[in-house]
Amino acid sequence: MKEVLNRKEAPPVREIDPGNIPEAQSFKLENGIRVYLIESGNEELIRMEFTFKAGQIKEESPLVSTTTNMMLTEGTENYTADQISSEFDFLGAFPNHSADKDTAGFVVYCLNRHVENILRLCREVLFSPVFPEKELDILMKKRLRLFQVNREKVQNLASDKFFESIFGESHPYGWQVSENHFTGISSAMLSDFHGKYYTPENMAVIVSGKIPEELTKLIELHFGDLSHRVPVADGPEKKPAGSNDRRFRIKKPGAVQSAIRLGKPTINKRHPDYPGLKVLNTILGGYFGSRLMKNLREEKGYTYGVHSSLSSLNLSGFMMIATEVNKNVTEKAVDEILKEITRLQNEPVGRSELSVVRNYMTGEIIRMFDGPFALAESFKAVWDFGLDNNYYYRLLEKIKTIEPDEITELARTYYKTDELYEIIAG
Amino acid sequence: MIKFEVFTLDNGLKVLVNQDLSTPLVAMNILYNVGSKDEDPDRTGLAHLFEHLMFSGSVNIPEFDPPLQLAGGENNAFTNNDITNYYLTLPYENLETGFWLESDRMLGLNLTEGNIEIQKSVVVEEFKQRYINQPYGDVMHLLRPLTYKIHPYKWPPIGVDISHIATASLEHVSDFFFSHYAPNNAILSLSGKITPDEAYRLSNKWFGPVEKRELRKKNITPEPEQTEERKLSVLRNVPVTALYKAWHVCKRTDEDFYTLDLLTDILAGGESGRLYSKLVREKGLFSEVNAWLTSDIDPGLVIFQGRLMNNVDIEVAEQSLNEIIDELKHKEPETKEMEKVKNRYESATVISNSGILNKAMNLAYYELLGNPELINSEIENFCRVSPEMVKESAIKYLNPSNCSTVYYISERGEK
Repeated sequence: MKEVLNRKEAPPVREIDPGNIPEAQSFKLENGIRVYLIESGNEELIRMEFTFKAGQIKEESPLVSTTTNMMLTEGTENYTADQISSEFDFLGAFPNHSADKDTAGFVVYCLNRHVENILRLCREVLFSPVFPEKELDILMKKRLRLFQVNREKVQNLASDKFFESIFGESHPYGWQVSENHFTGISSAMLSDFHGKYYTPENMAVIVSGKIPEELTKLIELHFGDLSHRVPVADGPEKKPAGSNDRRFRIKKPGAVQSAIRLGKPTINKRHPDYPGLKVLNTILGGYFGSRLMKNLREEKGYTYGVHSSLSSLNLSGFMMIATEVNKNVTEKAVDEILKEITRLQNEPVGRSELSVVRNYMTGEIIRMFDGPFALAESFKAVWDFGLDNNYYYRLLEKIKTIEPDEITELARTYYKTDELYEIIAG
Repeated sequence: MIKFEVFTLDNGLKVLVNQDLSTPLVAMNILYNVGSKDEDPDRTGLAHLFEHLMFSGSVNIPEFDPPLQLAGGENNAFTNNDITNYYLTLPYENLETGFWLESDRMLGLNLTEGNIEIQKSVVVEEFKQRYINQPYGDVMHLLRPLTYKIHPYKWPPIGVDISHIATASLEHVSDFFFSHYAPNNAILSLSGKITPDEAYRLSNKWFGPVEKRELRKKNITPEPEQTEERKLSVLRNVPVTALYKAWHVCKRTDEDFYTLDLLTDILAGGESGRLYSKLVREKGLFSEVNAWLTSDIDPGLVIFQGRLMNNVDIEVAEQSLNEIIDELKHKEPETKEMEKVKNRYESATVISNSGILNKAMNLAYYELLGNPELINSEIENFCRVSPEMVKESAIKYLNPSNCSTVYYISERGEK
C-alpha cells in the first residue's frame, strides 16, 4: 500500500551531533617556526597558509602592511615578478595575499605533486623580496585606481567612516586612506616593515588537506634554515579610541541608495560573554531568518539585505549592522534597526525562535569544520587569539543552554543604543 | 574520480547521487531548466523575481526558511540566463526536511499579492544596489544588447529595466511557474552523507507524487551571425575609463568550447596571463584586465574587460589589446604555455570538486548538458586541445566583424 504523505507536517527534526572537531597536529622547526597540520579531504590537494603578525596594527602609516604583503610576489633576489607569477601559474597553484588588521600572510592552494616546488617558491617570496621600484610604481597606480572606484560606492564610504569613528583616526584599525597615501610609499619603507615583521619568530604555517607524507621534511628543508632574528620590541600597545561624535552623514550626489552602518566596539572572543553575544547577534541579524532581515527585507521591502556581524580583533572587537536601503526610507530603516535592538533588551526571545537559532547555529558550526579549507580557517580564527577548539566547544554549549533572560541581559549590557555609532552615506 | 548514480522518477525528475562519507552533511541541489532567456522581451527579470518568490512559502508550508534553519540547514539560489538553481546543505540527520521543503515548492507556491509586492521591492533594491548604485553597474545592460540583437541573451537576468519588475502581476508570475517549474524540467542532485538507496527512497516518497506538467516550449530564435563591428561609446560619472569587448562564440556543448576556454586562460589566467603581463605589468596601460568565456548553453561570448590607467588614450589601449589578440591568430602558443594552462585547469577542477555543494551543483549542470560523466572526463577534453586548435579558434572567432566594443568613458575630464 502506498504511504499517505502528510505534507503539512514537517519530518521530525533530530538533534544534530557536531561530533569532535579534528585537532591540528603541531610541531616546531629547529628555528622555532610553528607548523600545524590538519588532515582532511579526499583529493590530492592541500592548502598552505603562511601567517605573520604583520597586519595593519604594526604599521606607522596607512597602506604599508598591505603594500608590503602585495609586493612579496613582485620581485625577489632570484626571480622577477613575471617569473614568480609564471612559476605559480605553471604549477597550477592559486596564491592569495592577505593583510588584515592584525595579521598578514600568504595562502596557496596546490596539488600535492607540486608541493616541493611551491614550498621553494614560497620561501623565496616570503623571505627574499626586494621591492623593486618599477613594480611598486605600477602597483601603487593600480591600487589608486581601485581606490578611486571604491570610493564611488556608498558601502565603502560608510564602512571606512565607521572604522574611523569607532577606533579613531590615528589608530591603524581606524585610519582612513586618502589619495596622497598612494604616492608616499617607498621601497625602503616596505623593506623596513618586512625586515621587522616577516621573521621566522613571527610566523606560523598552517597546512590542511590530504597531507603528503614527506611534507614535514620538506617544510624543515625549506624553512628550517632561516636564522633566528632578534625580535623587534613592540612599542606600547596602541589603544583604539572612538570619536566623541557618534553620528555622521556622508553626502554622495546621485546615489539611489544609502548605506547604513550602525555599531560599536565591543568584547572579542577571549571574553567569556562572547559566545552568548554570538547567539544574540545571530537572532538580531546573523542569518537569513534574523529579525532585521524579517523586518527590513521580508516585511517592508526596504532593502536587498541587512546583516549584523560580531567580529574579533586582537585589541578590540566590534559589532556592526550593515545595509543598503532605498534612499527615501533611510531614517525609517535606522528607526527599525534601533527598535529591534530595544525589543531584544526588553522582551525575552520566544522558545520557538530560540530553537531555530540554536539548531541553525549548530549546523553552521558543522559547516565551519567541513572540508580542508573550512577547517584551516576555523583553526586560525581561534589560534590568532591564543585560543583552541575549546572555544568552539564552549560556543556549542552556550548555543545549547542559553536562556532568554541571559539574551536580554546581554543586549542590555553590550548593545546600549546610546553608545552606537551611526554612519549614513548616500 | 567522483562516483555517482543516476535515476529518473516516473514524473520525469532526474536524480543524481554522490555518496561522500568524509562529511556529516548533505548538499541538495535542484536545477530548474529555466532562465532569463525564457522570458518575454517586455517582461524581463521574471525568472529572477520568481527565484525570490520560491522562498515565500509553498502549498503546505507557510515559510521556507524557518523549518530549514530548525533542521540546522542553510540555503541559497541563483538565476542566470539559462537556469535557476536552488541549493541547501543540511546535517544528514535532518536530510528529510530538505526533501519535504523542496518537493512542496515544486508542487506549488503560496503566491499572494502581498508577498509578490514585497519581493518586487526587494528585487528593485537589489537592482539598485548592484546595477545602478555601483560604478560600471550598467555595463552589461549596454554590452548585451549591442552583442545580441535577437536572442534573449540580450538582457541580463536582473532584467532590462526596473519597470518590468515593478509592474509584474500575480498572473504573470503564476503563469511562469506552471510553464517552467515541473519535475520533468528539473534535476535533483545530492552529495554527502547519503546512500543511493536512501536517495531513491526519499526522492520517490517526496517528489514522486508531484505530477508531470505541460511545459512551455522553448522557442528561442538563434542569434544571426554578426557581420560588422559594433561600437558604443558612453560618458559616465566614474573615475576611471573602461574598455569592454565581446565576441560571439560557440555553445557550451560544442567541441570548440574547450579550445576557447583554454584560449581565454592563455589571455587572462593568473598574473602570467598575456593580458596582465603585457597590458598591466609591461606597458602600464590598464590598471586591471580580465577575459572570460560566458559558458552559456546557447552560443555565448568571450568578454574582455579592462580599466585604464590615468592619461591613457583608450584607442591606444585598445590597439595594444588587439595586437595580443592578433598574435594568437599568427602564432601557436608554446608547449610550455599550453602545459601551464592545463595544469591550472587541473587544479581548478580538483578544487571545484572538493566540496559537497560544488559536486552537487556540478553534477546537476553536467546532467543538463546531457552527460553527467563530464564531471570526471571534462578535463580530458581540455587536455586534448592542441596549439593549432587555439590558433584556429582565434582566427575563427576573434574577428573585428564578430566583435562589439563599449567605450565606458569617465566624464571627469580624463582622457
